[in-house]
Amino acid sequence: MDNQNKLWRIALYGVLLYAAVYYLLPLYVMVTTSVKSMDEIRAGNLIALPMSITFDAWSKAWSSACTGVDCGGLSGYFWNSVKMVIPAVLISTSLGAINGYVLSKWRFRGSELTFALILFGVFIPFQVVLLPMAQTLGWFGLARSVAGLIFVHVVFGIASTTLFFRNYYVGIPDELIKAARLDGAGFWRIFFKVVLPMSTPIVMVVLIWQFTQIWNDFLFGVVFSSGDSQPITVGLNNLANTSTSVKEYNVDMAAAIIAALPTIVVYVLAGKYFVRGLTAGAVKG
Amino acid sequence: MGALAIKNVTKRFGDTHILKGIDINIDSGQFLILVGPSGCGKSTLMNIIAGLEAPTSGEVQIGDRVVNDVAPKDRDIAMVFQSYALYPTMNVRQNIAFGMETRGVPRKEQDETIARVAKMLQIDHLLDRKPGQLSGGQRQRVAMGRALARNPTLFLFDEPLSNLDAKLRVEMRTEIKQLHHRLKTTIVYVTHDQIEAMTLGDRIAVMKDGVIQQFGSPEEIYERPANLFVAGFIGSPSMNFIDCHLAEQDGAVGVSLQSEGGARFVSLPDGQRFAGHLGQKVILGVRPEQIEVAEEDEPALLCKVHLTEPTGPDTMIFTQINGKEVIARVHPRAAGRPGDSMRLKLDLGKVVLFDPQSEARLG
Ligand SMILES: Nc1ncnc2c1ncn2[C@@H]1O[C@H](COP(=O)(O)OP(=O)(O)OP(=O)(O)O)[C@@H](O)[C@H]1O
Ligand SMILES: [Mg+2]
Repeated sequence: MDNQNKLWRIALYGVLLYAAVYYLLPLYVMVTTSVKSMDEIRAGNLIALPMSITFDAWSKAWSSACTGVDCGGLSGYFWNSVKMVIPAVLISTSLGAINGYVLSKWRFRGSELTFALILFGVFIPFQVVLLPMAQTLGWFGLARSVAGLIFVHVVFGIASTTLFFRNYYVGIPDELIKAARLDGAGFWRIFFKVVLPMSTPIVMVVLIWQFTQIWNDFLFGVVFSSGDSQPITVGLNNLANTSTSVKEYNVDMAAAIIAALPTIVVYVLAGKYFVRGLTAGAVKG
Repeated sequence: MGALAIKNVTKRFGDTHILKGIDINIDSGQFLILVGPSGCGKSTLMNIIAGLEAPTSGEVQIGDRVVNDVAPKDRDIAMVFQSYALYPTMNVRQNIAFGMETRGVPRKEQDETIARVAKMLQIDHLLDRKPGQLSGGQRQRVAMGRALARNPTLFLFDEPLSNLDAKLRVEMRTEIKQLHHRLKTTIVYVTHDQIEAMTLGDRIAVMKDGVIQQFGSPEEIYERPANLFVAGFIGSPSMNFIDCHLAEQDGAVGVSLQSEGGARFVSLPDGQRFAGHLGQKVILGVRPEQIEVAEEDEPALLCKVHLTEPTGPDTMIFTQINGKEVIARVHPRAAGRPGDSMRLKLDLGKVVLFDPQSEARLG
């Protein structure tokens, strides 16, 4: 029995280790390649540790690699993304929270239908709306700007943020809202003083979710922006596709890591809330 | 002065009729109990009184104004919810202060009120805790405290004790009663515990399926229940219902009772009032304490004891009359043992008769 148990454990850890290596290997290759020199890359093997570490590729990727005709690196794109992602995440999360609050706690005639229609938005393929959206952005005078991208991401984010918040708020007892109404609180005071303080887990989930979605988006970025409003995903694409005399793998790898870093950081910092938030409500108490 | 008047209030959710014409009228300072089985519409009625739900038709009057179009916060009421509904992210102090803050009560007055309420309910030492760190009884006190921090004309308590264990329930029941004596504020109190109903209420409204079956004082409800439902719902153990035929013998109106040990005709006091039902089937309602052990020289019914249930001060005797199981509440020393026969008599002064068809009380 004991021995069998041990064997089980070993097998289990073996499988886990294998899975971990399998998923970490690409990251390992990216990191090691990004700090190797081109000479070493050409001579050596993909898996080998770097013989000497150099950050030249990183600084080139950041500030001087060519992305098409421009040769200013990814830094401009990176800041575009930051300028886009922060307002887009905050606005879509706030609107989702308010929508969810209304749809669960201030039901009105037709609120279920409204929710169903909003839900529909979760399943709409993005490609379908590219043209009408481009037209709309044109009318608003937001075409090819960071503001336009923010608008697009907010509109598309609302469906899922509303869904998340609404389902979380359904679990908050209605009697709490009734008690607050008897205490004289109105719509906003109940939201900010009673409901929102109870929402930390779901707020974290939605923030992470939206951040990842918007930061990683390529389609909207490439369609609705140009020149100096393009986000990092487009920059990375341009950088990797710009034909230079030699393919600089180390610069490509450094650029890819730079593009992925913010989402990784967000997960590491707030990942535990993500798991907690997703399972909250599943278990009571 | 009238404190609360509910006039022909109905409530429908879609096609389901929850309240079917409720009429209630109580005076200032009275303690009204709403009692009835689960799902009969008690909480719905409370929500309508509070203004948290709109009636489909009818009128609610608090004090001397009709409040149908008055917002909950302006109705001058305070409510304790079935689930307490304490704000989980606020500590006890903030929970009690929330309503005062909303209403812009000055800070100093808030602190005084919190101190007064906390002392009254003995929760001073809990003020800095969150609701999650409190026991059920403590939460109940805080919920009460939140309501008491106001000085409303009407308190609404929706089953405030239903989540507590038996001992705490009894304690809190007494405290609520004392509180009412001290404050003299009008209270509407929902329960489905008939002991709470009897001990606390000045007036009791017994509800079933959205209809008030009877509205009256606890004595009225207990001694002259309007129908079989009220008779069976109030009182523990329940009233015994014995199927009989109403007959006349030697000029007296009465019923024949048949036990396993004999048969007897018992005449009903003032039996002429039932004369119109002679020869008909009736249901005789007898409370367990109205069945007594007969003295040696008294006429009695010889009953076989099936089962006994000692409760301490009394012992319940299970026997059979007219084919129905009947419970008698007797003194433990007088109680026979299962298999024994006992000489029992009915205290007919308070028996009631019901019509088996309409289930209404006769006479
Ligand atoms: N919003 C609603 N929509 C539809 N039906 C409802 C709604 N609220 C309550 N009901 C129904 O109304 C009936 C009465 O509910 P209510 O909560 O008033 O019962 P109650 O007497 O308080 O019961 P309990 O003793 O279990 O608390 C129930 O059958 C319930 O299902
Ligand atoms: Mg209820």
